[in-house]
Amino acid sequence: MLHSIYAISMSRNPEEPVYNRIEEARVALGLSRQDLADKAGVHYQTIGYLEREEYSPSLVLALRIAKSLNQEVSELFSQTPFKRGK
Amino acid sequence: MSKKNKIYWFEGVTEKGVKDLLNNENSKFKWLRPQRNRRILVILMALGLVLTSMGSYWPTLKTNLNLSGAGAVTVYSVTAVFVVFAWVGGYSFLRIAVRSIADAPDELLDERQIAVRNTSFRYAYYILGYILMGLMVMMLFGPELQMFQPEGNDGSYVVIATLFACAALPSMVMAWRERDI
Repeated sequence: MLHSIYAISMSRNPEEPVYNRIEEARVALGLSRQDLADKAGVHYQTIGYLEREEYSPSLVLALRIAKSLNQEVSELFSQTPFKRGK
Repeated sequence: MSKKNKIYWFEGVTEKGVKDLLNNENSKFKWLRPQRNRRILVILMALGLVLTSMGSYWPTLKTNLNLSGAGAVTVYSVTAVFVVFAWVGGYSFLRIAVRSIADAPDELLDERQIAVRNTSFRYAYYILGYILMGLMVMMLFGPELQMFQPEGNDGSYVVIATLFACAALPSMVMAWRERDI
C-alpha cells in the first residue's frame, strides 16, 4: 500500500526521453503557446509539457506540431539532446 | 446561431462545461488550480469520507447524548443534509480543480490529457481495491469482534462512504498527482 501511495506522488513512466526544439521554433515564428496549441489541436498546457520534455508526443501529434511550425519532424525531435543555438 | 451544447450522459458532463473549464481564460476558479490547493481539497474530501463512514456510530452517539424522538430526528436530518451538501460541494470543486478531465470523454481531450485521465483511473482502481479489501476484512471479522449491531452500528455508512469514494477517487488522484492542470 505504501508503495502505491508513493507511486501516486512520485512516479512517471521512465520512458526513453525525446528531446525537442519546439520552444525555439515557436519563438522564432513569434507564436505563443496558445497559438501553437490552437494550430496543433491540443491544450496549451500540453505544449508546455512538451517544451519541458516532460511528455513525449505520439507520432501523429509530432507531425502536427512539425507542420504547425513549418519544420520536419526530424528537425524538431531527437533521441539525443540538441546542441544550443543549432 | 449557437451550436447545440452536447450532453455526455454517461460521463455526466456537457461539451460547453468541459470546454469552459479547459479554457485558460476562465479565471473564476483559478485559485483551485495550484497543486497545493488541490491537495488540500483532496485531504478535506478524504477526511469527509472518513467522517461519513463514522456515521455508523450515530446510534451510539444518540444514546450517549440522550437524544430521542424529534430531537434525534432533527439532529440526524440537519447533519445528513449538511454532509450531503458538503460532499456535493466538495466533489463539484474537485471536478472544477481538475478541469473535469477525469470525467470528460476522449473527444474533448488531447492525447496527454487522455493519458493523464487513464493513469488517474488506474491508480484510483488500485486504491479502491485497498478500500474494498478493508471493507471485506471488516465484513469478515466485524461480527466476531461485535463491531456491528442490528439495532446500532450496522456499518451501512462505511458502504455509503465507499460509494462516494468510487465516484470521487479518479478526480482526487488527478488533483493530488498532477503538477499543472
